[in-house]
Amino acid sequence: MGMTKFLIRRLMTFIPTIIGVMLITYIIAYVIPTDPVRAWVGGEKLLNPEALEKVRHKYKFDAPWYEQFSFLVISLFTGQLEDPVRHKLVVQELSYRFPITVEVAIFGFIFLVLISIPLGIISALKKDTPIDFFVRLFALFGSSMPSFVLYYFLILALFVYTRTTYLAGVPLPSTACMNMIASYPESIPVLGHIAFYIGQVPMFGAMMCGEWDVVVETAKRFYLPGLALGLLGGGFIARLVRNSLLDVLSSDYILFAKARGLPKTWIWRHALKNVLVPLVTVLGIQFGGLLAGAIIAETVFNIPGMGRYMYDSIARLNFPAIISGAFLFALIYVTINFIVDIIYALIDPRIRY
Amino acid sequence: MDVIYRALCFIIDLFTSFMERIRPGWIERNKSKIDEWKLMAYAYSKSPIAVTGGILATITVILALFGPLIAWEPYWQYKVVVNPDLWLKPPCLPPSCSGYPLLGTDEWGRDIFSLIFYGYRISFIISVMVVVLGVPLGVILGLIAGYKGGYVDEVIMRLTDIFMAFPGLVLAIAFATILPQRIRGLLDASPQLKDFLLWIFALRPQEYGQLAALLSIFLALVLVWWPTYARVVRGTVLSVREQTFIEAARSLGLSTWRILIKHILPNILSPIIVFATFDLATAVLLAASLSFLGLGPQDPVPELGFMISKAGRFFPERSWWIVVFLGIVLLLIAFGWNLLGDGLRDILDPRTRRAIEVRARAKARAKAAKVKGG
Repeated sequence: MGMTKFLIRRLMTFIPTIIGVMLITYIIAYVIPTDPVRAWVGGEKLLNPEALEKVRHKYKFDAPWYEQFSFLVISLFTGQLEDPVRHKLVVQELSYRFPITVEVAIFGFIFLVLISIPLGIISALKKDTPIDFFVRLFALFGSSMPSFVLYYFLILALFVYTRTTYLAGVPLPSTACMNMIASYPESIPVLGHIAFYIGQVPMFGAMMCGEWDVVVETAKRFYLPGLALGLLGGGFIARLVRNSLLDVLSSDYILFAKARGLPKTWIWRHALKNVLVPLVTVLGIQFGGLLAGAIIAETVFNIPGMGRYMYDSIARLNFPAIISGAFLFALIYVTINFIVDIIYALIDPRIRY
Repeated sequence: MDVIYRALCFIIDLFTSFMERIRPGWIERNKSKIDEWKLMAYAYSKSPIAVTGGILATITVILALFGPLIAWEPYWQYKVVVNPDLWLKPPCLPPSCSGYPLLGTDEWGRDIFSLIFYGYRISFIISVMVVVLGVPLGVILGLIAGYKGGYVDEVIMRLTDIFMAFPGLVLAIAFATILPQRIRGLLDASPQLKDFLLWIFALRPQEYGQLAALLSIFLALVLVWWPTYARVVRGTVLSVREQTFIEAARSLGLSTWRILIKHILPNILSPIIVFATFDLATAVLLAASLSFLGLGPQDPVPELGFMISKAGRFFPERSWWIVVFLGIVLLLIAFGWNLLGDGLRDILDPRTRRAIEVRARAKARAKAAKVKGG
């Protein structure tokens, strides 16, 4: 029962965070000394004053700031908010871009885990050997490499010279498949909605319909950014795995287990379970960071994801898009924190709320 | 390694004798502290990673201080106007192409090697300013939140939550977009500040519009920087606060600020120093990333990230050398600070410091025994 109570209390503290994020975004946007409407309508010379007034009225720029803010928030929640630069609903734009970011994040996360955890375990087992030194060096290189330089060279090696990937477009499942996924919420009672949202990510949608060639194409398109993101973050996590594994292996209960002559697999199970506790937090934060979009990677690898969208919107002072993006980021941050809390309680029996 | 130990001891001796001169009896009172410092210096000289990091960091600092004086070509001379051959000239060794720059040129015909010296200065100054302003801000807020508790704590922590919910780069981009105009107004209002900052960044007076862009990057990073520190410091303060010596200080009637500064801060200082050293590297890279995206200074200013992003257009056939050399410079700066931070972590932590010391002593003893025996 304590657990449920704790989780509800935790959920309550998230509300001010989300509101605060949107408010701060709005305040930052509000203090810009220029007129954003001018930037949206575009063209200093060909400006039609009537059009300007119309847009200004539509987004309540003639009203006080709190009315503007509440207009933005309410129309965001009802899905009516329109992107003044792209002339699309913001919700549409986000539902196109966010799934792509999710794909990149998944590939990045897979590489991150594949690189970091084996390296960390090996370097803990071979402590103070050249392998350990190499992992330490790799971690340091990963955190001191300018990301864009690494991206350029990966592109050079894997695209320009070998053509194992491509750098334009995003593979989508066929229209028939998308229609089928869109009909899920009506045909299947509860699971349909979940399946619908999962199916919005093109790769998963294609998997649901069994269009495996699209999945392969997606892997071909996104493995390079994933590899790059994994290389940059992997060393740091490998170090973390190494240090916490060493801490655990030298602790009393492992010594006791060894003294009792338990089989090796048992000792490993006990050790790895305790390594998981700090690892889950860091991996959770990393995944959250990836979901928010890696702006530089998206720029260099030409991916139309969240990071690019936010960057373009900020450059064009596109308030509605910025606020919606900020809301999504806050939601991701809060959700990831919440999930990490739950996983904590599940893997660590010492934590009782 | 012995040389480094002696040099560090010399610096410590110099400092202590200086303190002795202004406050007689200082050495007597702080004897244990000085011994501890010397032990740290010993442990430092025995750790190859820390020494390498220290050397790289020293090179960075020296190049940042004196680079623009050494640079033989001013960054504002567009030589390609006079000599079109210089347009994106690849690097080559003197006998085959004497008269051309060793490391190649950029698309304005400027010598890359000479631009690197300016780039060092800009990256270094930005990172140092970010850490010097951002870290204390976070530390102070964290101290207050941890020590006061209650509503103050709640408000500060919610604020850090709000700032941490944004991906750092997005928030920095937002700030870097809105700040330049304000900063320009500020610079117009105070010409002395403007001249001072131009001198610090080694820029010409004409570039003061670019200066506003540079400062906006730096301010944006400061605003992004503090939340992690606030959170970490708060956590440690919470654990230190309940210890007996703080209770003793409180019952002696010391003021809150005195307790915070004199008794709590020294106890949490060493992890902060380590984090700040790592963050010097992160700040260099983030500042370069922001100007890579085009938010920083524009053309004549040789900011490393911006120049790499320009070179990206011609990559790889016509500009690989720009990406490689400037990338290596960025890598070396960040690598130096990271190595130093990694070494300092071992040295400032009493447990690992003792281990390093014991290992080094045992090695020395074994060596001495060998010399005696052989």
